[in-house]
Parts: sequence; structure tokens; C-alpha cells
Amino acid sequence: MIDVLRLALIMATPLCLAAMGGYTSERGGITNIGLEGLMLMSACVTALCSAHFGALGGVACGVLSSTLLSILHWLSTQKYRIDHVISGMAINAIAAGGTNFLYGKFSDPNNSGKLVVMPTNYFVVAAIIVPFLLWVNSKYGRFGIRLMAAGSDPDKARLMGTEPITIRFWGLTATGIFCGLAGSMLVSEVQAFTDNMTAGRGYIALAALILGGWRPIPTFVACLGFGFLSALRVQLDGTQIFGANIPAVWASLPYIVTIVALAGFFGRNRTPAGIGKL
Amino acid sequence: MNGKITALIAGALAILATGLLISGVSPMEATKTLFQGSLGSLGAFSGTLKETAPLLILGLGVYIALKAGLFNIGVEGQFLVGATLAATVGLRVQGPVGILLSILVACLGGMLWALPAGLIKAYRNGHEVITTIMMNYVAGRFTDFLVQGPLKAAGSQEASTADLATDTRIPALINSGAFELGWSICVGVIGVIMLWFWMRKTVAGYELQAVGANPTASKFAGISAKKIQVWAMSLSGGIAGIAGAFQVLAYEGRFYQGFSPGYGFDALGVALLAGNSAIGLIPASLLFGILAKGGVSLQANGVPKGITSVVLGAMILVAASIRFRSVKSGD
Repeated sequence: MIDVLRLALIMATPLCLAAMGGYTSERGGITNIGLEGLMLMSACVTALCSAHFGALGGVACGVLSSTLLSILHWLSTQKYRIDHVISGMAINAIAAGGTNFLYGKFSDPNNSGKLVVMPTNYFVVAAIIVPFLLWVNSKYGRFGIRLMAAGSDPDKARLMGTEPITIRFWGLTATGIFCGLAGSMLVSEVQAFTDNMTAGRGYIALAALILGGWRPIPTFVACLGFGFLSALRVQLDGTQIFGANIPAVWASLPYIVTIVALAGFFGRNRTPAGIGKL
Repeated sequence: MNGKITALIAGALAILATGLLISGVSPMEATKTLFQGSLGSLGAFSGTLKETAPLLILGLGVYIALKAGLFNIGVEGQFLVGATLAATVGLRVQGPVGILLSILVACLGGMLWALPAGLIKAYRNGHEVITTIMMNYVAGRFTDFLVQGPLKAAGSQEASTADLATDTRIPALINSGAFELGWSICVGVIGVIMLWFWMRKTVAGYELQAVGANPTASKFAGISAKKIQVWAMSLSGGIAGIAGAFQVLAYEGRFYQGFSPGYGFDALGVALLAGNSAIGLIPASLLFGILAKGGVSLQANGVPKGITSVVLGAMILVAASIRFRSVKSGD
């Protein structure tokens, strides 16, 4: 049982970090379905750079890469006024193709050994602390309150003398950092990068954010729940139903739960009111 | 504003050129390889058309939803559900009846798969993008499970259904050895023309576009916006299901794990690039087909095929920045 719980925590860590990235973006009013792409980019760059600059350097480069990609999202949605969903899809495509390209070109095929990586414990600690920090910030911090204002009613936020577009820039920078950490965590876990290794975690993080009603602590709890589901799946691996592995279907549970939540069966819709508004 | 867009295009091109130079291929050379591999010979062109066909039909599906103001990112899942159902029915009912029944069932399956997203959007105000993404993953996992277990062909090594009987497949329309033209591309073209006519000349088509342009105003004009949203989403899903059926019946002859190499996303790009007229879907899907087919040739020359996805992503950003620059202002 302790094993399952430990595994659940490790599984929940990248989800939670990415979901917090989604929080700083969506609370500021920017729909972000590019979390998946940001994680993937960071994972790839972390793996490539830690071969040259060591574990910490790898994480730093990974976080930097996903932050740049996140700022591209800010640029396209806020400056070029592209629809947020389209921009997010484009970022996912750029990340999926770009990592395939970069890793195909720059990885050292002779070096099949494991990478030097940061211990996963650091990421786990970060994933536990960050939601609380964000919660405190959203209650008492100047930035957190302004971010919520920008995401709830940008026009009123402007009347209060803040500039939503600037606030969102910092929100998306934070998104890049958190998703970058999430991507690095994935690399730390298996000490390698593989094509499309995020495998939908960005969307599960988004699902957790929705289930948590765009609030940090409930989102954190949702991530723990999803992590627990994944850990159970690993434990059940090998059990067969109708000749197929259970996990194939089990893995879609978080998505189904989210659809049910969106259908309004778990209370009211808590989508930030000004999401998508400029 | 135009200066900004020029900057965006220049930036995208510069990044691509750098990427190609890094991989040791000159950008000119790569472009040549791309076009030679996709349009250089009759055989290559047939391959391009084969890649184009599902993108055209799926793009059509996305386009209808888009005109009603909905992003159907879920065509990937609806396509998979349609393909699975078509393969299942096609294996049990053979002959022309089997073909028709497969297409019908696949269409219904796609519609039903899209229905929750439409209902949640219309009546619960849950964003259709999120629900359709979630439904995609559910569809992917569920069809994987089916094809690994209950639907797996006896004695097969990989996760795949059995092959359809020859008389349950849709034959090529023209097959002269070197050149092959499938039915599905014709269905796609006919569908586009029908859609164009429907949008321009019928009341229902006009209402759909009115809801897409301004749901509140159309409500005051006496149009039941919610109903139309639900219908548009289902219709979009039904078309995606048909695309899945044609992919099984006309090309693959079976359903297997990893059936869609990301058609759903490409179809979204097709619909976005198509612009204001449904006819634009044809050149847009052809462009995507060229990139998909030419990307394979690029890979043979040592450029990882991911570069084509980067091109698509950049293209979508550029196209969207041009199209949406005047429209945007919240709701």
C-alpha cells in the first residue's frame, strides 16, 4: 500500500505542476490547451541539455524552452489576437514536431546510458508547495489578485488601473516555468526522453484544473486523485479482461470524470468569467 | 497591423530555414524533395491523394462545426469510433449491403460520440474544446482496448481486426497501375460542393452561420441557437465517422491500433486554412496531403519528419493571425 501511495505521489507530481501552470494561465483569462506541448518541449530540452550542462543545467534549459513557448502563446493570443484554442493547438503541433526534430538531430546515438538527472524528490516537494503558495497568493498577494481580476473581468481590471495584458504575460511566464518543471520531472523519472513521452498528461492536468474549479488546492487534490488512479493502473498491469489489458480503458477514467464534471453533475460551472476576453 | 503579420511570417520562415540548415539540408533542396516526393510522379501523387482524402472529409466535419462557432477538436475520436464500427460491421455483414451498413453505422457512431460535447456546450456552457479533447482520449483508449481484445483477429500478432473480404471493400475509382484515384476523395469533393450549396442557398445553412457569427443576435432573430449548436456538433461528428468508414473500407481494409496518425489535428488546420468559403477546403487539404506525403521523403533524406508538424503549426498561427485580426473582441 505504501508503494502505491508513493507511486501515486510521483505520478501526481508532473500533473500537479502542469495544472498549476494551467492555473496561472487560465485564471488570467487565457485558455491554455498547450500545456501538453510545453511539457513535451521542456522534457526534450532537459534531456538534450543535461547531457552537456549537468542535471541542474538541463532543468534550467528545459524550463527556459517551455517559458519561451509559453510566451509565444501570450504573443499570439494577446498581441496577434489569435483564438486561444488555435494558438494552443499550434503550440502543441510545434512542440510535438519540434521535439521529434530536435531529438532526432541532437541526441547522441552512441550514448545509450542513463542521463544524469535531478532527483525526483525535489519536484515532488515543489508540486506540494506550489499550490499552497498560489493559494496564499490568490488570497493575499498583489499579483494573484490582479491575475484573478484580469481573468474575471478585464475591463473592470483596467478601470482599477492595471493592465491585464501585462499581468497575463507574467501569468504565462509562470505557466512556462511550472510546465517546464513538469516536463523535467518526466525526464527525471525515467532518465530518458522518448517521442511524445507526455502522452496526454497535459490534458489530464487541464482536466484536474477543471475538476478543481480553477482553484489551487482542489486542483492539487484532483491531481493526487488522478495520480492514485495511475498508480493503481500500474499495480493492475497484466490483469486481463476479454483478452485485453485493463489499463487501456482504465487510463481514460480521468477524462470521463472530467466530462461528467463539465456536464454540471458536480456543482456549478466555475470557469473564470473573463476567459478568452481581451 | 500588416507589418506585424509580415514579421510573423518572416519569423516562421527563418525558424524553419534554421532548422533545415541545422540538419544539413539546404532549404531549397528540402523544398524540392518535399514536392518531388508528393507531386513528382503519378505514384507519388496517388499517395498524396490518399493522404488528402481523410483530411478533406474530416476537414469538412470541422468546418461545419466551425461555421456554427464550435471547435470540434474531437474529430480524431469520432474518426476512430467510426472506423472501429465500420470494421466491426464490415466483418459481419458482407457485400454492398455491408458497405452501406458500415458507413451508416459509422456515421451514427460519430454523431453519438460528438453529441455529449454539443449538449454540454449548449445547455451547460462547458467549453466544447475541453470535452472533445477528453472524448478523443476516451475514444483512443477505448478503441485500443477493443482492438487488443474483443475485436482482435484470431492468431494475429499485432492489435488489429481481421481483413475485410474483398467484396466488402470500396474499389478504387480509377486504377491504372501507376495512378490510383479512390472513391473517398470524390466523396469529399462532392461533400464540399454540397456543403457550399447548403450554406449559401438554404435557410438551415444560413441559420447555422448566423449562430456561429452571433448566438445572441440569432436568438433574437428567432433561431434556436442551442438546438443548432447540438445539431452542428453531431453533424460534424457524423461526417468524421464517415471519414473513418471510408478509411477502413477504401484504403486500410481493417482497423488496427494507431489507426490515425493525427488526422484529427491536421483536419482542424485544414478547416482553419480553408477561409470563408467551403471550396477552400479542397486546396487546404491538398496542401496538408502534400506535406504529409512529402514529409516521408524528407525523412528518407535525414530530416526528422517532425519538421512538417512545425511547418503546420507555424502555418496555422500565420493563417489565424490574418483571419482573426479584425474579428476579435470577446463575445
